[in-house]
Amino acid sequence: MSGYAPTQQATSPGGRLPLRLLAQLAWRNLGRHRRRNGMLLGAIALAVAGVLLLNTMLRGMEGEIREVVLDNLTGHVKVLGQGYLADPGIEHGFQLPADWPQGLGSEELFGWAARLRVPAVVMSERETRGVELVGVDPRREDISFLGRATVTGERLAGTDDRRLLLGRALLEQLQTAVGRRVVLVTQGADGRAREVGYRVAGVYESDFRALEKVFAFTGAAALQQTLGTNAVTEVSVRLARAADDNAQAATASALATAFADLAVLPWQELAPQAAAMVAMADFGVFIYFAVVMGALVFGLINAMATAVMERVREMGMLRAVGMRPGAVVAQVMLECSLIMALGVALGLAVALAVFATVADGIDLRAFDLDKSLEQLGMRANFIPVLTVADVVLVVVMSLALGAVASLFPALRAVRIPPLVALTGGRGERGAKRRQRGATDKAP
Amino acid sequence: MAEAAAVAQPSAQPRSLLPLPLLARVAWRNLGRRRLRTAMSAAGIGFAILLVSTFTALQTGVYGAWIDTATGVMTGHWQAQHPAYQDDPRIADVVPEGTALAARIAKLPGVVGATPRAEAFALVSAGERSFGGLVHGVLPGREAELFSLPARLIAGDYLPREDSAYLGAALAANLGVGVGDEIVALGGAPEGGVAALALTVDGIFASGQAELDRSLLQVPLAALQQAFGLGDGAHRIVINAETGDGDGGVGAAIAAALPSGVRLLDWQTLMPQIEQSIRFDRITADMIYWLLMLLVALSVVNAFMMTVFERTPEFGMLLAIGMRPTAIVGMLLLEGVGVWALGALCGLALCVAVVLPLQVVGFALPENEALAAMNEQMMMPERLHPALGGKALAQAPLVMLIGTLFAALVPALRVRRMRPVEALRAEE
Repeated sequence: MSGYAPTQQATSPGGRLPLRLLAQLAWRNLGRHRRRNGMLLGAIALAVAGVLLLNTMLRGMEGEIREVVLDNLTGHVKVLGQGYLADPGIEHGFQLPADWPQGLGSEELFGWAARLRVPAVVMSERETRGVELVGVDPRREDISFLGRATVTGERLAGTDDRRLLLGRALLEQLQTAVGRRVVLVTQGADGRAREVGYRVAGVYESDFRALEKVFAFTGAAALQQTLGTNAVTEVSVRLARAADDNAQAATASALATAFADLAVLPWQELAPQAAAMVAMADFGVFIYFAVVMGALVFGLINAMATAVMERVREMGMLRAVGMRPGAVVAQVMLECSLIMALGVALGLAVALAVFATVADGIDLRAFDLDKSLEQLGMRANFIPVLTVADVVLVVVMSLALGAVASLFPALRAVRIPPLVALTGGRGERGAKRRQRGATDKAP
Repeated sequence: MAEAAAVAQPSAQPRSLLPLPLLARVAWRNLGRRRLRTAMSAAGIGFAILLVSTFTALQTGVYGAWIDTATGVMTGHWQAQHPAYQDDPRIADVVPEGTALAARIAKLPGVVGATPRAEAFALVSAGERSFGGLVHGVLPGREAELFSLPARLIAGDYLPREDSAYLGAALAANLGVGVGDEIVALGGAPEGGVAALALTVDGIFASGQAELDRSLLQVPLAALQQAFGLGDGAHRIVINAETGDGDGGVGAAIAAALPSGVRLLDWQTLMPQIEQSIRFDRITADMIYWLLMLLVALSVVNAFMMTVFERTPEFGMLLAIGMRPTAIVGMLLLEGVGVWALGALCGLALCVAVVLPLQVVGFALPENEALAAMNEQMMMPERLHPALGGKALAQAPLVMLIGTLFAALVPALRVRRMRPVEALRAEE
C-alpha cells in the first residue's frame, strides 16, 4: 500500500484526482501482481493475435475468390447482349460504338477487352469435347488470367491469328499436341453450323484445371470472319487494384451510357456465389471476435474483480479521505483499459510477427487441400491478407470490451460503504456476517 | 476460515490423511467463498463447452448429410472401373459384363444397390445447333432407385422409352429443344469411326450444378452400348453402401467380389473436393476450438493462482497442524473438478437445449438466392440437422476437464514448497 502515499497530497479540492495521477496509480497497481497480470496479458495477447490471424485467413480467402473471378474473363464490369446469359451465342452479339472507348476514361481503369465468345465442340482424331471458343485481342488480355498464363508453344500473335490456344487439361483429354490440327464445330451468324479446322498454336496453363477444360482461344477478328459477323459478345472492363465500389459503380454507369439497351453487369451479379462468400467474409471478423473475446471476458472480469476485492480496505480509506466514487470507478476502468491496451499491443506484435512468416503465402497442396480450394474458387497458394481497417476494428473493439468488462468490478467497488470497507475487507456480505458475530477472523 | 477449522478435526487420524468425501465437501464449500470467481470460471468453461459442443454437433450432422447428398446425386459411395479410367477416361476402357457384375455386387451384405453406367462424349445437335455433351447410358429403374438426379426432373418423364434422352436444363435451352423434340448425338466409337444416336427428349432436369445442367444427358444403357459397340461393357459400376462415412468392411467385400483388372474407388477419391472441403472446414474450426479452450484454461489458471495466493495463510495453518501438502493439492484439484462440473453442466444443458430441437426439425440456411445456388453447387442438403453424438457431448467437456485440472495443479504445486511458518505470516 506504500504506493498510495502521494495520492492524498495530490488530491485536489473536491476529491477529484487528475487523470495523469490516476493513470500512474493504475500502472503501479498492475505491478503489484505481476504473475497474475502477466497471465492476463498473455491471454489478451493470445486472443487478439488469434482473432487477427484468423481474420487474415478469411480476408485472404475473400480477396482470392474475388481476384480469381475477376481474372476468369469476368472483370469488374461486363457488357453483354440482352439474353446472352440465358442463351450464349453469336445471335446475341452487338457492335462496338463508333466512338468507343470514349467516356471510359478514368484513373481507376486498368484495361478493357472486347471478346467474341461462343459455344463450340472441339474434335481431335480421338476425342470430342464441348468448349467455349473465345475470340480475343491478345494485346488486351492483360486484364485476365490469359495475359499471365504460362504458354508452351506459341501465344496468339494478334487479333487476326487463325490458330488455337488450348488449355493443358483439354489438350490431354483430346490426346492431341501443339502443332496438330483439331476441328471445331460452332454456329455462324447466319444460324448454320460451321466446321473449321484449327492448328494448335500453344497450350496455356491456369491455376484451375476446370478453366483449362472450358476455354479455347483464337484471334477475335479471325473468328468474326469465320462466323460471318463484325459483332462481339462481350466487353469486359477491369479496374485498378485500389478501385473501390464507388469506382466500380461509376464505371458501370459510364458503360450503361455508352452501351444503351445492353446488359451492364458487375461481377457480383455474374458470379453471385463468389459475391456471397465475399460478403460473408465481412461478418467473419465480428464472429471471430465474439467467440474468442467471449472466452476472454470471463477471465478478465475475474482478475479485475479480485484486484478490486483485495483492495477493498485501501479503497475504503481513499474514499474516507475524500476520493470520489467516480474516481474509484475511473481508477479501476483505467487499470483494466491499461492492461487491455498492453495486451492488444502485444497481441498485435505477435500477429504481425506470425503474419510476416506466412505473408508470401501458404502452399495448401502440402496439406492436400487444393481440390477443396479449387471448388471454392481459390488457388493452391493461399495468401493471407492483413488490412489496416481490420486491425483498427479489432483494437477498438478490444479496448471497448475492456472498458465495459471493468465496469462491473468497478461499480462493485463503489457500492461498498467506506466505513464497511475500512473495517471489513470482504465486502458487504463479510461485514454483515461479522456484525452477526460470525467466527470469521479479520486478517 | 471456518472451513479450515472443520478440516483440522478429522485430521487427527493417523498420518493425517483426510477421507475423500470430507475433502470433497471442504472443496465444495471453498468454492462458495468466492462466488463471483467460481461463477466466472464456471461460466468461461461453460461458454467454451457450449460453443464447441454445439458446433461439433452441427458439423457431425452436416458432414454426414453432405456426403450422402453429394454422393447421392449420381456418384455413389463406391465405383468399380477399369484401372485407367478415373485418371484418363477413354471410351475403350470398360469393365466387361457390367450388368451381371453390378447384379452380383448388389447382393453383397452392406450394399444397398449397384448399377452399371457407360459414358461417352458426343456432339449433341438439334437442327442447326450443336453443343458438346457427356452422354450417360443408364438402367433407368436402378438409377431412379439409387440416385437423386432422376428426381430433379422439371419437365416430361425419366427415360420412359428405349430412345429417350434426359437432358440438363441449360443444355436443352442452348439446343433450343423441349420435351418431344428430336436430337442427335454423334461421338467417336472405340474402334474409330462415328457412333450416332437418334433420341427423343422425354425429360429435362435441373440439378443446380451448372456443369451437369450444361453438359449432361442420360439415355438408356442398351442404346448407348449398341451405338458405341461396347457390348455389355460399362465404364462405372456405381455402388451405394448403407453408410458413406465408415466403410464397415463393405469396401473389402466389394473388392473381393471384383474380377481382376477392375479397380474399386471410394467416394473420397471420386469426389476429392467434398472430402477436402470437409477437412478444410474441420481444420479451421479446430483452430478456433483450441484457441477458445486455451483462453478459458488460462483464465482458470489465473483464478486458481489468485485463490492460492489469497489462501496462503490458511494453507500455512493447515500445514502447521499436520495436513499433508498432497491433501491440500488434492483439495484444490477437487475444487477444480467442482468448477468444471458446474461449467460443464450448464454448457452441456444449454447445448442440448439448443441442438436437440434443431436435430429433430432441422433448419434451413437463410433465404438468399446466391447462398442457395452455392449450396446446390457444393451439393449440400437443403435442410441441416445437427447430430448430438458421443463425440459432440464428450470431447469438449473432457478437454476442458483436463485443462481445468492442469490449471488447478500448476498453482497448487506451490503448496508443496510452502513453509508453514512463512505461509502463516504471509499478508493476505
